[in-house]
Formats: sequence, structure tokens, C-alpha cells
Amino acid sequence: MTDPTLIRNFSIIAHIDHGKSTLADRVLQLTHTIEDRDMVEQVLDSMDIERERGITIKAQAVRVLYTADDGVEYTLNLIDTPGHVDFTYEVSRSLQACEGALLVVDATQGVEAQTVANAIMAMNAHLEIIPLINKIDLPSADPERVRHEIEEALAIPADEAVLASGKTGEGVREALEAVVRLVPHPVGDPQAPLKALIFDSFFDAYRGVVALIRVVDGHINAGMKVSLMAAGTIVDVEEVGVRRPAHVPVDRLGVGEVGYLVTGLKDTSLVKVGDTVTLAKHGATEPLPGYREIKPMVYTGLFPIDGDQYPELRDALDKLRLNDPSVIYEPESSHALGFGFRCGFLGLLHMEIIKERLEREFDLDLLATAPSVEYHVYTTDGEMISIHSPQDMPDPGTVDRIEEPYLKVTILVPPEFVGAIMELTELHRATFVNMQYLSGTTVEMHYEMPLSELIMDFFDQLKSRTRGYASLDYEVTGYRTSKLVKLDVLLAGKPVDALSFIVHKDKAFARGKMLTEKLRGIIPRQMFEVPIQAAIGGKIIARETVRAMRKDVIAKCYGGDISRKRKLLEKQKKGKKRMKQVGTIEVPQEAFMAILKVDD
Amino acid sequence: MTDPAASSPLAGPAPEPVSLYVHVPFCVSKCAYCDFYSRAGGEALRRPFVDAALFEAGHWSHYDLLDDVPTLYIGGGTPTLLGDDLVRLVRGLIETARLRADAELTVETNPETTDAALVAALVKEGVNRFSLGVQSFDDDVLRTLGRCHDAERARAATRILRDSGAGFSIDLICGVPGQTTASWDATLEEAVRCGARHLSVYPLTVEEGTPLDAAVRAGTVPAPDPDDAADMMLAAEMALAAAGMPRYEVASYAQPGHESRHNLVYWTGGSYLGVGPHAASMLTAEQYRRVAEGEGWATPPASEPPCARARFTREASLEEYVRRPLADPGPVEFLDADETAREDAMLGLRTTAGITAAQADAAGAVEALVGLAEQGLVRVTESADGESRWRTTEQGWLLGNRVFEAVWTAEDPSRP
Repeated sequence: MTDPTLIRNFSIIAHIDHGKSTLADRVLQLTHTIEDRDMVEQVLDSMDIERERGITIKAQAVRVLYTADDGVEYTLNLIDTPGHVDFTYEVSRSLQACEGALLVVDATQGVEAQTVANAIMAMNAHLEIIPLINKIDLPSADPERVRHEIEEALAIPADEAVLASGKTGEGVREALEAVVRLVPHPVGDPQAPLKALIFDSFFDAYRGVVALIRVVDGHINAGMKVSLMAAGTIVDVEEVGVRRPAHVPVDRLGVGEVGYLVTGLKDTSLVKVGDTVTLAKHGATEPLPGYREIKPMVYTGLFPIDGDQYPELRDALDKLRLNDPSVIYEPESSHALGFGFRCGFLGLLHMEIIKERLEREFDLDLLATAPSVEYHVYTTDGEMISIHSPQDMPDPGTVDRIEEPYLKVTILVPPEFVGAIMELTELHRATFVNMQYLSGTTVEMHYEMPLSELIMDFFDQLKSRTRGYASLDYEVTGYRTSKLVKLDVLLAGKPVDALSFIVHKDKAFARGKMLTEKLRGIIPRQMFEVPIQAAIGGKIIARETVRAMRKDVIAKCYGGDISRKRKLLEKQKKGKKRMKQVGTIEVPQEAFMAILKVDD
Repeated sequence: MTDPAASSPLAGPAPEPVSLYVHVPFCVSKCAYCDFYSRAGGEALRRPFVDAALFEAGHWSHYDLLDDVPTLYIGGGTPTLLGDDLVRLVRGLIETARLRADAELTVETNPETTDAALVAALVKEGVNRFSLGVQSFDDDVLRTLGRCHDAERARAATRILRDSGAGFSIDLICGVPGQTTASWDATLEEAVRCGARHLSVYPLTVEEGTPLDAAVRAGTVPAPDPDDAADMMLAAEMALAAAGMPRYEVASYAQPGHESRHNLVYWTGGSYLGVGPHAASMLTAEQYRRVAEGEGWATPPASEPPCARARFTREASLEEYVRRPLADPGPVEFLDADETAREDAMLGLRTTAGITAAQADAAGAVEALVGLAEQGLVRVTESADGESRWRTTEQGWLLGNRVFEAVWTAEDPSRP
């Protein structure tokens, strides 16, 4: 056990792309946790997708030993957190495990929406915040402006902000010194019954579910019988240890220590992020505050392109859920797409990542339908039905009202784009709340808007209309009644359930028209004419036609052309295999996502 | 009629027919749509090229591959750009290869290099067929295609060829952006009157990486309209049939008896040897083995069913070719007996003759053909002798890729 006064638990928080993971890499090198020769980029981001996209999805914790200028060796626990708004709850739990945070701000970009959101979360967790201005090696770095923005926007004194470069390593030592000096050491009662916070978990094929924990009171060691309070799970502790970043078993973890706990459990859903670990007998009576059930925000249908892969998809989801209990799924069947699953995700990025992982790690070809949110439908006989799929919408005659989830949205943007934001939010049914100038270069705008509009390509539009300058953060505020209708799409006169979507009544006509136009461009010409219609409750509101294909022939075919031509035909066939056969019509996958792009 | 040599025990096996193709990679200028291997200019390389081609042909003759050559085709590029060197090439090839007495001997040419004296010299050497790249008799269309000649020059070339005594074919392109039905009808009318006994009609394909492709992507030229191309293909079929030149292949029309025998070799699975850079060869497995053993090339892999054919292309640049005419071919494509049957079926359906029921069965394509028949793209016909054949229909010609793809990728449920 380590003397709590020599422990510093801290996190690095930042807006996406501000250099958090690279900075973490430098910390590991400087403290010789990882020798230079073993160094890879983004050490703590172990998934391919994390490295490729330069993002952190899973929280990580690593213990480093640092001998400070005062000659004392300190134990620093660095807890790396996901940077994306989809994972806000996970971030809040990771922060709860710390006493301090390095708030990283890009010296060229300045304060952005998630800088603000993360800083507020850190303040709410009562963390000591140490501002760090990163990427000062870049020619366009403007630390003075950024310092000013941090003070203006976040009310955090920044005159002593650490100036650093994750790339060159400059300032990293100063950052660690600041952590040792400014971050309070953990305080807890070693004599009290065990209380430890679970801030992440993952599944190990050999050891079962492993939880990452922070001990608050008491201690934990192998052989103990402990209880996970919210889940009501009893666990025989098989092993405890610290991550350096490889697992190193220790005898016990005491007050303020961060480490891992091998549970031997096979079901990850029994080990919940935010839950409290205590003794099975004579344990703590009150759990640590802040636990919440994770609830999906976005739902989509996932269908195997090749219907025979349905069992494989089920197995893949079962396996993936072991590592990510926030994914939920239930079987869904569609006339158009056959058997698949309706899946719930924390957000759009989470959805994209899971789909990509399913395809990559399990070699599946998947088709995703347009994302939906959870609607609350109140029927005329007073019943409330939660629906996650347009297909489940009850007959309009039986519907009294429909409620949809609303968000509080914060957008940070340079003043010259305020007009662009007004225009975009108008298109997405957002209500303006207020705005304030954080500095001469940043305006903070507040809106209320339906979640269903946010997932309609809002983020990409926001980026493209502001040349990438705007940043966004949001939180769910509750449900509100909206005038919503289900819009159906018919191909060759037959409704295609997987193309249906729920839309605000006032937007239905425009969206229906734009969608049919879009689909006309996406659906290739078939051997027969294909009418595309949009309908609400049987009434056609828009129609387009894909004309029949009349000519498709490569006429030239001599000698060497034969191989080329054959390859072309094989490629064409493969392309068709990626399409979904809906009745007699070949429909490309992107058709099912076309609704997201109708505001282009 | 019996050949006394064939029955003699001393004569050895009968020679195998192998057609010969020589690729001449020179042009006056590159056309906007063309992705064939050829180069504008390159004067200094022309003579060395002819030397290299003759050397290469001579080398293959040692493997008994050129002992019975039914057709010789000198294509390109623009072979007639070689001038006297082309005469030397033809003469040399005739000395090297044993051409059949009735061999078809074709030289490709373009209007700008179709010179009366050269044509006469070639005919004197034995050339009996020319293939002229006219493409259109409309100056606007020629400009869009980036051709270096006008319609008047094309007309002059047809007159030279008509007067040469050799037969000739002309190539036409339809579905060109900006090409009107009236322009196309006028081109067809001139084509049937110019004395050609064979016509090739291609709908324009925008090949990746060509200047036309770049122009279409940049939006300076509209993409070809497939509906226009379909109308023009139908118009060609009607006009040419009325003029006594019925279609015999998806893009080929001829007076009966004037079909291109060389091209029919490609479409009926015959062996051919390609000489020159980027020329393709296809040999039977047995012929290929002979060459591979002598040259130290990759031998066909053991497979079940066994390898039946090999096809390969020398993907050398002109410079490399001139330096080393005999370097290894690129990757060799080995076709087993099943693939061979499917390829023959696919290519057979490009011709009006179609394929026999037995061929369809061997290709495992009967089910696919039944499906195509339901869509009206092929049909079964019975000839006078009671043999039934699968043939491509009128609509099938326009949607040929559907037919070819279905047959080529047919999965025969009776095979593992």
C-alpha cells in the first residue's frame, strides 16, 4: 500500500484533437513507465479504431512513479478519459476517481465546447484544475490569446498555465511538478469499511470481467468477498493490482489507490461503471454518490447484408457487449431487410464505432438503418409506449400525443459564424435561449433542440458551415410533446419498412420530397422503372422515378480485354452483393442512411 | 481431301492453329477517350520496335506456335504510322510464321496515315483486310473525341481503301456527348455507302484516367447518356441490317462471309499469341507448358479440374520492350476447365451464333440462362438440324453486361 500523501490521482481532459493522448505518451516516457524503444503512439488507446481516428473510447488508468524536484518519489495515477460527448457519463466517473485534472487546450485552437464541458464537469467533481496550453511548438500557436480565453470562458486563473508540447516533450516535467504541488493527495478513512468506485470495466477472455477501481475508504485484497452495491453482485476478489500499464498484482489496494480488480465474473453487465465496491458483510451502508444506469440515446437497426450471417451477428454482439455493456440490442425483423437487431448506443460516434468494430473484428457486412431516438407515445387509452423504431409506431388513430427527448445544446463559435449557426439551428427545430461573448474570438450560444434533429447530420453540417471552427456539447433535459408523424417510403408501390422515419409534421413534406430526390440519385437504374414515393398515413406526398436501365454493355472485347472485362464483371457482382435486394429491387446501403443527408 | 503428311508416321502431330496479333504502340496523337497502350511521336523507337517484334515472333516460332496461323492482325496504336517499317514488319512476319493459304491478314489504320502508296505496298505483301478508325463522319463529334483528323480526311481514307482491292472495316462510336440522332444517322448512311463490308459500332465508354474522363469529372464535357447510346445502337442495328450487314457480335456487323475471323478467334476460345508491349496471349495449357518450360516461367498450378488455358500480357513499356523483347510476362492467368467453359459461354453469347445447350451445361450456366430468359435477355432457338442454342436477344445486346455477368459468375449448384 502506498502512503496516501504520496499519491496524486489526476486526469487529462481536453476537447478532441487537442493532443491529450500524445501528452499522456510523453508522461509515460518521462517517468520511464515505458522505455523509448517500446513506445508506440497513443499507448493508452489500444484499439485500432482509437489510433486510426485519434480518439479515446475506453477509459484507461496507468500508475507512474515520478521523482519530483523535492527529491521525493510520488505515485501518480493517470486516468485517461474518453473525449467525446457520447461518453459524458463515463468521463464523469473517471473524474470522480481523481483529485485533479490537467485541462489541455490547444494553443492554436483555443477553448472549444468540450473544453468548457469537461472543465465544468471537473469543477463539479471538485477537482483542482491545472490549465495546460499544448502544441506551443506550432508556428500558429497563440498562448496569450488562449490564456485569456481560459480565464474569460472558464474563470480559471491561467497566468500560471503550463506551456507544453506533447510533440517535443517540452513542459511535460513542469506539468508533473504542478500536479505534485497543486493536486491534493487523496483523503480517506483506512479503518472504515471498504468503499471503492468502479470507473471502467472490460472483459478478459482468461480472467473474466476486470474492473478499474479507485479506493476511497478501507482497503481491498485478493480473497475478500465484496459486493457491488447497485448491481447487487457478490464477488470473490481473485486478484487486485496496478496497471503500469501491464497488470502487476499487489497484496492490497488502500486509501486513494487506483488499480484493477479481477472478479472472475463472465457477465460484464453485472459490473457497472459508477457502482461502489464494498464488503459483502458489514460493508458500507451508503454507496458513493453519482451512480446512474446508462441509457442509450440513439437506436438503429443493424442487419447483415447476407441474411445467412444473422447468427454470426448475434454472436458478435454478445461478444462485443462483454467489453461494452452500454450497447443494448434486441432482435428486429424487417420485411425489407430480414432479420437483424435494433441496437441502442450512447450517441452517433458510439454507434459508428460499434458498427465498425462488428464489421472488422467479426468479419461481417452490415447495413445500418437511419438512427432514431426513443419516443414516448401516449395512446388514447392513457398508456405510454417507448418506441425505438419507426416500425413500432402504433396506428395514428390510437395515438394521443408523442413526446421526444430534448437537449440543452451549447455551441462555441467565432463571432463571424453566428449567422450560420442561426440558420442551421433554424433548420433543425432548435429554440434559441441566449448567447454570450466569452472573448473577442468566441461566442457561446445556447439552444434547446430535439435529439432527433441533432442526429440528423447536425454535427457534420455544423462543422462544414463554420469551416470546422464550431464545437458542440449537449445534455438531455427531458421529454417534450411534438407534432410527429411517421413518413413511409414506397419503392415500386410497396412500402419499405426500413426506410420509414419519424419526422415533425411541419418538416414532413420538405423532407419527404428531398428524400425521394436523394433516393432517385442513389438507387441505380434497374431493368424496370422504379417509382419512389413518400407517404404519410397512406397519402402520397412526393414522388420520383428511377427510369429503367436501357444500356449497360461494354462492347469492346478483344484479347487482353477479356481478363479486364471479366474482372469488371466480378467487381460489379461484388458491388451488387453489397446491395440489399428489396423485393426485385437492388438498393445500395447508403439509401437507408439517405434521410440523414436531406439538408445538404 | 487428305493431307498426305498428316497420315505419315514420320510427320509428328498436326500443327495447332494459333492466331497472331502484333501491337504497334504509336499514334500521331492520343485521342481523348483511348486507354490503349500507345504513344504519340516516338519516331526514334519505331525501327527498333519493328526489329524487336520480329525478333519476338521468331523466338515463339521455335515452340511450334506459329506453324499454322489462320489469322494475323496488326493493331495498335496506328500501325500505318510506321510507313515503310510496317511493310518490313509484314514481310518479316510472313517469313517467320506459317500463314495459311487463306489466312486473313488485317492491318489497322487511321485516316491521317492511310496513304495510297503504303496501302498498295501492304496489299502487295499480302495484306487483305484493313480496319479503319473513322469513329464519325461529323467534325463536331470528332473534335469531342479528340481525333486528329476531320470527316473529309476519313472519307478520303475510305476511298483509298476501297480502291486498294483489299476488304476493309470501319469503326464507329455512338453515344458521344453532343452527338445528335441526326448526326448518327448521317454517319451510318455514309458508312454503308463507303464500301466497307464490315463495321464495328461501339457505345462510348469513359475509361478511367483518360483525358475524356478528366473532362467529364471536371464538368467540361457531359457524361455520355446511356439512353442516347441505346437509341443509337438500335438505329445502327436497323440501318446496317437493311444495308445487308447484319450484326454477328454485340458490336460487329458484316456482309455475310466478311466477318472478322481474327476477332472470332477471341470469342470462340481459340489460341492467340500477342507480340509487342501490352499484347495479350492466350494458349492452351499444353502450349503454355511448352513455352513455360523452355523460358523458365511459372507453370500452371495443380488444380481440379485441371488447368485448360493460360493468358498473359507483357506489361512492359515501349522502351523496356525494345531493350528486352523476351522478358517474362506479367502475372499469368490460369483457367481451369470449368472457368474455360464459363468464359467460352460468356464470349459465345456476345455473338449472334450464341452457344449450344451442351456448352451452357458445361459452363454450369443453365440456371443463370433460364433467369436471363425470364428477363427477356436471352432465348432458346432451334436450328433446322434440331440443335437448340441459347442466343442473346435485342434487349440482351443493350444490357449485355447483365448477360455476361450472370453467365461468368454462374454458380453451378451441382458442383462443390
